[in-house]
Amino acid sequence: MFRRSKEALIGGIIALGILLMAAVVTVAGILGVRITPYDPIQQDVGPPLAPPSLLHLMGTDNLGRDLLSRIIVATPNDVAVSLAVVGVALAVGAVIGSVAAFQGGLLDEALMRFTDVVFALPALVLAMAIGVTLGPGVTNMMIALMIIWWPPYTRLARGEALRVAHQNYIEAARLSGMGTARILFKHVFRSILVTLLVYATLDIGTVILVYSGLSYLGLSVKPPQPDWGEMVSSYQDYLIVAPWLPVIPGFIIALGVIGFSLLGDGIRDALEAR
Amino acid sequence: MNPFRYILRRLLFGILVLVAVVTVTFVLSRSLGGNTVVAWLGKSASIHPELAALYAKEYHLNDPIPVQYYYYVLNLLHGNLGFSPSRGFQPVAEVISITLPFTLQIAFFAFVISVVLGIVLGVLSAQYQHKPLDTCIRAFYLGGYSSPPFFVALILLIVFAFWFRLLPTGGAFDLSLTPPTVITGIPMVDAAIEGNWPYLLSSLDHVILPSIALALVTFGVLTRVLRSSLLDVMHSNYIRTARAKGLDENSVFFKHALRNAMISVVTISSLMVTWLITGTIFVENIFGYPGMGQYLVIALAAEDYPGILGVTIVFAVVIVITNLIADILYAVVDPQVRLG
Repeated sequence: MFRRSKEALIGGIIALGILLMAAVVTVAGILGVRITPYDPIQQDVGPPLAPPSLLHLMGTDNLGRDLLSRIIVATPNDVAVSLAVVGVALAVGAVIGSVAAFQGGLLDEALMRFTDVVFALPALVLAMAIGVTLGPGVTNMMIALMIIWWPPYTRLARGEALRVAHQNYIEAARLSGMGTARILFKHVFRSILVTLLVYATLDIGTVILVYSGLSYLGLSVKPPQPDWGEMVSSYQDYLIVAPWLPVIPGFIIALGVIGFSLLGDGIRDALEAR
Repeated sequence: MNPFRYILRRLLFGILVLVAVVTVTFVLSRSLGGNTVVAWLGKSASIHPELAALYAKEYHLNDPIPVQYYYYVLNLLHGNLGFSPSRGFQPVAEVISITLPFTLQIAFFAFVISVVLGIVLGVLSAQYQHKPLDTCIRAFYLGGYSSPPFFVALILLIVFAFWFRLLPTGGAFDLSLTPPTVITGIPMVDAAIEGNWPYLLSSLDHVILPSIALALVTFGVLTRVLRSSLLDVMHSNYIRTARAKGLDENSVFFKHALRNAMISVVTISSLMVTWLITGTIFVENIFGYPGMGQYLVIALAAEDYPGILGVTIVFAVVIVITNLIADILYAVVDPQVRLG
């Protein structure tokens, strides 16, 4: 796949870089080791609003905190939220979708119409309203997004499960006396998983985008804890004197989204070509 | 399918979605701060217990839940969305009636720019497939739709308003000008009707950057779909037939291929519109544009719950209505629906 597509390779490198960074920061956090050049929360590690230099590769903010350190420690937030939201959506979607496909009839109709309605709800606005009710915080935003994120997975899973349902090996399993639940677990989930995983890879970027929006609106971390979206909104007041402050975190978000989109596209193209 | 039945079905579905939204906000309004009055009066409900009691009675907040739900919906239908603490307890509906027109102005221009840019670049990208121009266009739209709207808005603000000083840095019009009298409620339309040209020009000047910022994050959805469906269509049998009939390449492309590929564009446009409308929240905030999005950001910071819930409902209504329009448009363009 990577040999054929340079884009997928770039995407893969970016995505892997972000995942690795998140893993390293998390492990370092557990061990209590600081891996960033400076303490991300400590003020006056440099002069305030210093432009990028060798001492501070991304400059410093209004309180003299090192921007690079703040960006690094914020990585796990976006990664954790996107992986968790996509993971839960995938699991919920796989179950509802394949149950709907295998049961058919009224249950199928009811489940899918419900899915359609949730799918049509404006995701960001609703996640925001739910987030406000739950109160700000990374975990709460994760929950808010999980509540509304599953419908496309359900539709996809149902379509795939319907395709699988009429194949001979499922028929054989049924004739050998296997119950629907066991068929779903043993055969169906496995065969629809690839399609769902490809979609999920593409979707990680979208979750990062929407989460960064919620974070920008102040619904995620509490200051002084850093988060990419939150940094853009709290630094936008300095855009004349220190334009790099809001621009760099914004660029990092875009880079992450681009990475996962390219990777997802690459995987999909590779699978379709096969 | 019969086109009228199709439209009727979409209409009913839209209503169902609205019922779902209202049900969600109803549930949320009951979970805020442990006290339902908070959703109507904000946090000040706890400071004025007498007022809170009055409201609880007025809005039937101490009745059984089905009764509460009935009065909740009834209140919404009467345009009663509570009072907004962040706006000095102005009724939320009144704040929205002032701010929504500004949001619609940005959304309208962003939509037009998005569609024009999206179609032109989609066509070019498909015509020059795998050539450098195609690669550039793909990089451009990938960068656009992968960027958070606030990032694009900031870049445009820094470059065009602060560095080159070409366009205003914020606001919706020059505050020294007299606004037009309210006729339709949408300031630019009113200014045009009244012939208030200085105001109209100033409004246009102020709306350009925010709407371009928004269009840059949304046009990619359209370009991407148009490009891939054009490429699909160009390899289909009826295009080969059209070529075989001796039609020149231009009429094959524009009369046959593009017309067909536009169907998928209309299908995806509802997704684009949803992004576009939610994007106004961020773009308005960066440009200080006095629309509903900016009101929402202020309400969020002030924990102005009535404002937040009111804006949520109105955003949902706007999105449902625009999606419905897209559905009807779809019925018009797609012969499979139109001809039954």
